[in-house]
Amino acid sequence: MKKLLVLLAAVVLIGVLITSAVTDEKIQLLVWVGDDADQEWIEGVIDGFQQADPDHQFQIRVGIVPEPDAKIAILQDPTASADVFTFAHDQILELYGAGALQEIVMNSEAVINANGGKNAGAIQAAMMNDRLYAYPATADNGYFMFYNKEYFSEEDILTLDRMLEIAAQNGKYFSYDLDAAWYLYSFFAGAGLQLEMQADQSNLCNWNAADTEITGVQVAQAILDIAAHPGFINQSDAEFIAGIKDGSVIAGVNGAWNARAAQEAWGENYAAAKLPLFTVAGQQRQMASFAGYKLVGVNAYSANVGHAMRFAEYMTNYESQMKRFELRGQGPSNMQAASSPAVMADPAIAALTAQDAYAQAQNVGPNYWAPADTFGAIMAAGNPEGTDLQALLDQMVAGITAPVQ
Amino acid sequence: MNTLGNRGFRKALVLPMSIGKGFRNIFISIARFFSSLFHQIAAGDLWVKSSLLLCGMGYFGRRQYGKGILATLLQLAALCLFPVFFLPYLRKFDTLGDVERQTIFNPETLKNEVNAFDDSFQILLFGVVGILFLFACLILYVKNISWVSALQKKAEEGKHINSLREDFSSLFHEKFHITLLSLPVICVVVFSVVPLLVMILAGFTNFDRFHFPPARLFTWVGLDNFHALFESSLTATFGYSFRKILLWTLIWAFLATFTNYYGGILLALFINHRQTRFKKFWRTAFVIPIAVPQFVSLLLVRNFFANTGIVNTLFSQWGVTDFFRNLGLISSGAAYIPFLTDPNWAKAMIILINMWVGIPYMMLLSTGVLMNIPGDLLESAQIDGANAFQRFRKITMPYIRFVTGPYLVSSLIGNINNFNIIYLLTNDIYVTSDQLLANSNAREVDLLVTWLYRLTQDFNNYKMASVLGMAIFLICAGFTLLTFSRMNQGNKEETFQ
Repeated sequence: MKKLLVLLAAVVLIGVLITSAVTDEKIQLLVWVGDDADQEWIEGVIDGFQQADPDHQFQIRVGIVPEPDAKIAILQDPTASADVFTFAHDQILELYGAGALQEIVMNSEAVINANGGKNAGAIQAAMMNDRLYAYPATADNGYFMFYNKEYFSEEDILTLDRMLEIAAQNGKYFSYDLDAAWYLYSFFAGAGLQLEMQADQSNLCNWNAADTEITGVQVAQAILDIAAHPGFINQSDAEFIAGIKDGSVIAGVNGAWNARAAQEAWGENYAAAKLPLFTVAGQQRQMASFAGYKLVGVNAYSANVGHAMRFAEYMTNYESQMKRFELRGQGPSNMQAASSPAVMADPAIAALTAQDAYAQAQNVGPNYWAPADTFGAIMAAGNPEGTDLQALLDQMVAGITAPVQ
Repeated sequence: MNTLGNRGFRKALVLPMSIGKGFRNIFISIARFFSSLFHQIAAGDLWVKSSLLLCGMGYFGRRQYGKGILATLLQLAALCLFPVFFLPYLRKFDTLGDVERQTIFNPETLKNEVNAFDDSFQILLFGVVGILFLFACLILYVKNISWVSALQKKAEEGKHINSLREDFSSLFHEKFHITLLSLPVICVVVFSVVPLLVMILAGFTNFDRFHFPPARLFTWVGLDNFHALFESSLTATFGYSFRKILLWTLIWAFLATFTNYYGGILLALFINHRQTRFKKFWRTAFVIPIAVPQFVSLLLVRNFFANTGIVNTLFSQWGVTDFFRNLGLISSGAAYIPFLTDPNWAKAMIILINMWVGIPYMMLLSTGVLMNIPGDLLESAQIDGANAFQRFRKITMPYIRFVTGPYLVSSLIGNINNFNIIYLLTNDIYVTSDQLLANSNAREVDLLVTWLYRLTQDFNNYKMASVLGMAIFLICAGFTLLTFSRMNQGNKEETFQ
């Protein structure tokens, strides 16, 4: 009899547990942000979102997945990854290709307008086939120049030639990551040559052209001359930071993520600006750049795809972007936020805005990177084997334009 | 030398011959099996014959009711499960599905409405499982006939027929091996055989970034991927890169294995030498690096040897950089030693760093072996006038080689696939200057496996991952067979007794 009672009690208890789990109608969302340091910001966003919508009960968990690696984490199994995730915009191609991105169908007009309309870089970066597939979150993922005011006047920084000269005179360096395809782009695009991705993800590239106003060989020769200048040094990110810290580097081109290190080392003398002009074929040309954005995507397989969209929209609205700027110093893509006095006063963001006119959203297929890296490495080494420049360019373009398998 | 060569040649012939023999034996045993099966059916009584229709009948006829019910239930379960669960997948197995996933957002429910789409990967996976299931059922079905026919024989001879309880208890006595092994076998099939088959089959599909399930479909493409691998068309310079990387992979595997192997043995000999003091201290000192997780120590070492790292700073202060420049080992304009950024330097450094990581393991291993060498052997050699080197060459070394032979082979294979060292030391910082390699996303320092990783991880190219994986497997399997067949045959054992 006793046993029967215990059994009965157990059954009742399990029943209660199951029904309580079923009736508990909290909406579950998993959000990935890029950095531990985002934790404080995202928790504020979650609280605000819950308060703005008291009709629904949310249970929003946070995970950390660095933005440059989001693609890898999501494509391992899109059906089991986060509902809302932050990623660097160059991954949109593959995430979209794998069908992992939900098309933004709620309030998309408002989102587009808030970020500067259809032609704004941030919206272009978040669109595939003229449809919106992500929410722009920041507009500061591109690169610009920072320099030490102790050595350069406002006029000096207009041309690369002058900057190199001053660096050489002081026995210091102007730092640039030549063997990175991302930065190499500046020279060729600045000279007016074309690089563009096609529908099949292969690239259209005329960097070896001999019939353009400025030919590929002339650009290559310009890069060789720059690389050979005693005031120039080819450095990776880590070397650049080390150089700033030990004082050997007094100017360089890099992104906002390294601006803080320069700010700490140079203090009052830290300044940022758009990229300078460089000499090619006897002319002064403005260096171009890749603009970079962080985007927030919604998982197409999310069980609560509507609420995920609402949350992603909230996470990237004016207030959240301002908060993000205040807490993390990240430049907003939202127009209203970007034009606020506090944001405009930030040197790095002001420099990015100045560079904006010469920056293109990164629209290149996967075969661009390795061949361009290697071409940059050969240039940085001064073309040690003395290979014909046209042959080098032809080989690089063959790799860049190869079909994507 | 000549006789040695002959022996090697004959041994090389043994392998294909034994494979041929193996195939013949398999065919013979299949033929025997079927002939005995038909014989059993022909000689079977009504119970055996009706077992062909209902598997439990043969047991009912011998009053094994429990077993009969069990067999019948199993048969029914299989007959239900197969068409309900596996057949839908198997029916689409030839195309791997043809309905692509489509969603429409419903603003009222705030949810996506999804069509009844095909998931190519699930079709592939459950198709394979279904085929294995069908195979297992067929084997059980056929086996069942020989079991009931054996029962018939027992009944005719008036022997004792087990009750269900007796059968059950035999699983804990004379058939205990079945009880013990069934779980591991099931695990091997589920966690090893099935994934392996699926991944091998993926090599015959177009499963890649453009065909990524569940959103997109992929399908069979026959041998196209293998053509791409060997006809240089996966990337513009794939064949060139494959050859170059394969060569470096083999050089690396050979050097990495043997430097660690002999380095470890020598170190153990030094530490174990009579005149060495503080033996325990030395052993601990060399083993400490093992305690640090490998990726941590490798990333640290990578920073030490960076172009602006601490080693370069010290070297240029001490004038070592100038010394190397004067020797012509680094270019005249270089301000640093390109430890991990120049192809030749990087290769040398990788092998050196690998020695630092790997020698302590071999030192530990061979310390144990050294302690087991019979002392009388060494002593009598010494009395006979053998000097230290002769004793090492003729006694110590053969003994160690005999004991550690299998380890040597497995570490050679391990080094062919030694992902950590190369990837952690060179990823992100090494840029190749070889344009042909770059056009295939390869680098001089890549092993097949790190190249495979980047080709697939960065490009989600699963189909080529599968094909390259098979190529690596063939290379490793070839090495293993070759080396094992040439060393450590059982008949050598008495040499050391």
